[in-house]
Amino acid sequence: MFDLFSDIFTYRDNALTRIDPRAKLVIALAALIALLTAERVVLPLFVFGICLGTVITLRIPVKLVAVRLAAPLSIVAVLVVIQTFFTGTTPLFTITFAGWPFTAKVEGLRQGVFLGARVLGSVSVVFLLGVVTPAHRIFQALRWFRISRNWLEIAILMYRYIFVLMDRVADLASAQRLRLGYTARGRAMRSFTALAGATIIHSLEQANRTHDAMRLRGYRGTMPFGPLPALGRRDRLITALCLIGIISARLLEWGASG
Amino acid sequence: MGGKRMKAIAVTGVHFTYDDGTEALTGIDFHVEEGEFVAVLGSNGSGKTTLIQLLVGLLKAKSGRIAIGGREIGSLTAEELYQRVGLVFQNPNDQLFAATVEEDVAFGPRNLKLPEEEVQVRVTEVLAAVAALPLRGRAIHHLSFGEQKRVSLAGVLAMRPSVLILDEPTAGLDPAGEAQMMQLLKKLNREERMTVILATHSVDMLPLFANRIYVLDRGRVLQQGPSEEIFCHQEMIDRAKLRLPYVSRLMYEMKRHDGVPIDGLPLTIGEARAQLLELIPKEMILPGIEEIGS
Repeated sequence: MFDLFSDIFTYRDNALTRIDPRAKLVIALAALIALLTAERVVLPLFVFGICLGTVITLRIPVKLVAVRLAAPLSIVAVLVVIQTFFTGTTPLFTITFAGWPFTAKVEGLRQGVFLGARVLGSVSVVFLLGVVTPAHRIFQALRWFRISRNWLEIAILMYRYIFVLMDRVADLASAQRLRLGYTARGRAMRSFTALAGATIIHSLEQANRTHDAMRLRGYRGTMPFGPLPALGRRDRLITALCLIGIISARLLEWGASG
Repeated sequence: MGGKRMKAIAVTGVHFTYDDGTEALTGIDFHVEEGEFVAVLGSNGSGKTTLIQLLVGLLKAKSGRIAIGGREIGSLTAEELYQRVGLVFQNPNDQLFAATVEEDVAFGPRNLKLPEEEVQVRVTEVLAAVAALPLRGRAIHHLSFGEQKRVSLAGVLAMRPSVLILDEPTAGLDPAGEAQMMQLLKKLNREERMTVILATHSVDMLPLFANRIYVLDRGRVLQQGPSEEIFCHQEMIDRAKLRLPYVSRLMYEMKRHDGVPIDGLPLTIGEARAQLLELIPKEMILPGIEEIGS
């Protein structure tokens, strides 16, 4: 469960972790725009392939990749099924489910695969960014992009306390499990409800204590941030090259579509 | 100790009752002089945490007077108050809210609107003081509990308070971590002349560090004085639901049940060892086998 949020790989030293987070953020944003405006399946699948290949080259465990991609893959599967059976006109095949005939259509399948590829491509870009950049560096970069301080403050606190609350939830869940809290469906439901309630109470208590601690160190409603260094020449060059690559790929695709 | 020192903290006749009617403090008097190392000893529910929350302004006393460095707590601005008193919470997770060690320690100095160079100097200084300089760039959630404790202490020290208050600073630490934390506090007190107030119910290390001990029970001060004075009142210790340090307990039992002629009540291993060496015939002692610490 907690592998989902593991960030230990972002602290490894490699070519991608050494790039300034602002550069990575600009490149990721450009890639996302290119994917969202893509008109054919090739570009999203190409980006997905590159991101997946990079992640594997960086020796990120396959299990972590699978866990993190599980949710978007499920969305893709649902998208493909819905599009295939509910849009388009040219029949592909028909299946019967609970006495009802469902006809898959060529256009629907094509549209589903296209949308799914866009989702996969976009998610893989964000995933790659997440395994080569620690969250606090992303927050620093967002600050540089003049994102609202209040939003950032909330994001920083959420990120910090996710781990504390997860530890607490894991302890509570283990305590419930040790007292047979999850042995039957009804009991499991009650245990889970109690766990959710306890988590909310813990979060509120934690918030109060943290606010006290912040006040004692001069907090008056605005979190102070340190200055960011100027973007280095190497990082500017990498950003420029990647942006040229992304724009070229998008233009090539546009030309091929036209 | 020298001449009369200024009162770092002066609490006189303070009452505090929580909204649910729980009477936490009933007319408490509590005084700490500058540069003292004072321990507030008490069982759970004795009022220790309420007292320290009053001292840092997190709670407001219903009646009585609290002065910090000679000034009424109510007359101090938040900036003035938190540069005079710093509180280290029992659970470091309550206190460490930034993503990295450096950002967390820099939080207070940046709130004081210090120039960034000064912020960095303070961060380096306090991290070095708590032996956490190598942790500077680390994410908070990757630290061990002992490291988190030291970093939370650094975050408070970066405000450069003259009075440092700690709520159960050794709770949850292993013996090595406990000893390291206490040595750190001793160093801050003895070398930096920082006033240290420690709320705890752990008694074993106090005789080594504390100049004075306040014993609290159900919101009242049962007794206050140097550790040798406090721990000779066995009945009072029992009433406060506390215990003697283990070494003192052993010596007390030997004296009481076995008639071993022990003078007074040794409070530390060093004192106990010295007394036992006097009682053991010289020919039975093999010199220089192994040195044990006191």
